[in-house]
Amino acid sequence: MFEELAADGLALIAISLDEDLDAARFCAREETTVPLTFTVLIDRDHQWAERYGVVNVPTTIWVDERDRVVRPPAIAPGDDKFIDFVGFSAEPHHAALREWVRHGTLPMADDEVQARRAAPDPRLQLARAERRLAMHLIRNGDSELGHAHLGEALALAPDDWTIQRGSLPVRGKDPFGQDFFDFYERWQAAGRPGYEP
Amino acid sequence: MTVTLVVDGFTREVEGEVRDGSVLVSAPAWHTATGWQLKPEGLCRGDVCVPRSVLGDALVDGMVDVVGAGLALRRPVAFEPAAAIAVLADAPEDLAAAIAEGTAPAFTLPDLDGKPVSLADFAGKKKLLFAWSSW
Repeated sequence: MFEELAADGLALIAISLDEDLDAARFCAREETTVPLTFTVLIDRDHQWAERYGVVNVPTTIWVDERDRVVRPPAIAPGDDKFIDFVGFSAEPHHAALREWVRHGTLPMADDEVQARRAAPDPRLQLARAERRLAMHLIRNGDSELGHAHLGEALALAPDDWTIQRGSLPVRGKDPFGQDFFDFYERWQAAGRPGYEP
Repeated sequence: MTVTLVVDGFTREVEGEVRDGSVLVSAPAWHTATGWQLKPEGLCRGDVCVPRSVLGDALVDGMVDVVGAGLALRRPVAFEPAAAIAVLADAPEDLAAAIAEGTAPAFTLPDLDGKPVSLADFAGKKKLLFAWSSW
């Protein structure tokens, strides 16, 4: 599908939220987690994620020819492989994307775009700043101080996947293992905050 | 001495010091990093000034205390005096303004080879931004 849409003029830009650059390169180039038609960029400090209000992956945002956001951040799996976990099909999103690229059909009205954007949350932003600080310290070899600040970030943003799940590798834990499932159970019990198609 | 200031995706080593557990930066360095300039009337950006009367602990001997200034400018700040580093989050009102305008914020990020790529490189096209990760 993405090859078709690229041929129709859609620019495909994939932004990795990985701290581990080798992991991002491996996924993009060896495992082709992201189709090769995408330009792959790295937002290691989650500055882009902060600015766009992205709290989980996979998330898409549609931006038109005049740089207006016509579909705000939303969970958008590439296929239905994990539909039991995701809770909705990828197909309506793909159909709407084709309609928009080929015919300019907007997926929603301007006021709905606005209504769907979460207002900035200073507590969550502080969590991102603490995470950013933690990663700078850890990258520079100051592991103990770094992990203390990462702890602050984790406490401030209990439902943010980019902080919770995203920091499992640097904490020496498996992002597909028990620690992830423990987070998932807690997040599920909280009503799956921030998870909308 | 220098301190590390992380703002808007830029990491800068700037003139400053750690004093009594606070991270202080020189007023010119603060201006360069944040756009807020120390003037006789207070901290100013464009036509807007935060007067000295409400800056309180944000000014120490002509330097800017990062935490105090963050409070005055309502920007969340994370800091670590033991490593002389401070990180400013975006101003919540700037983010809210971008949402209200409906425009996609500009960004420049490195690709897998480290080459910088900007949103503006795709000007005039429809764009699908896709956040992903290895985890």
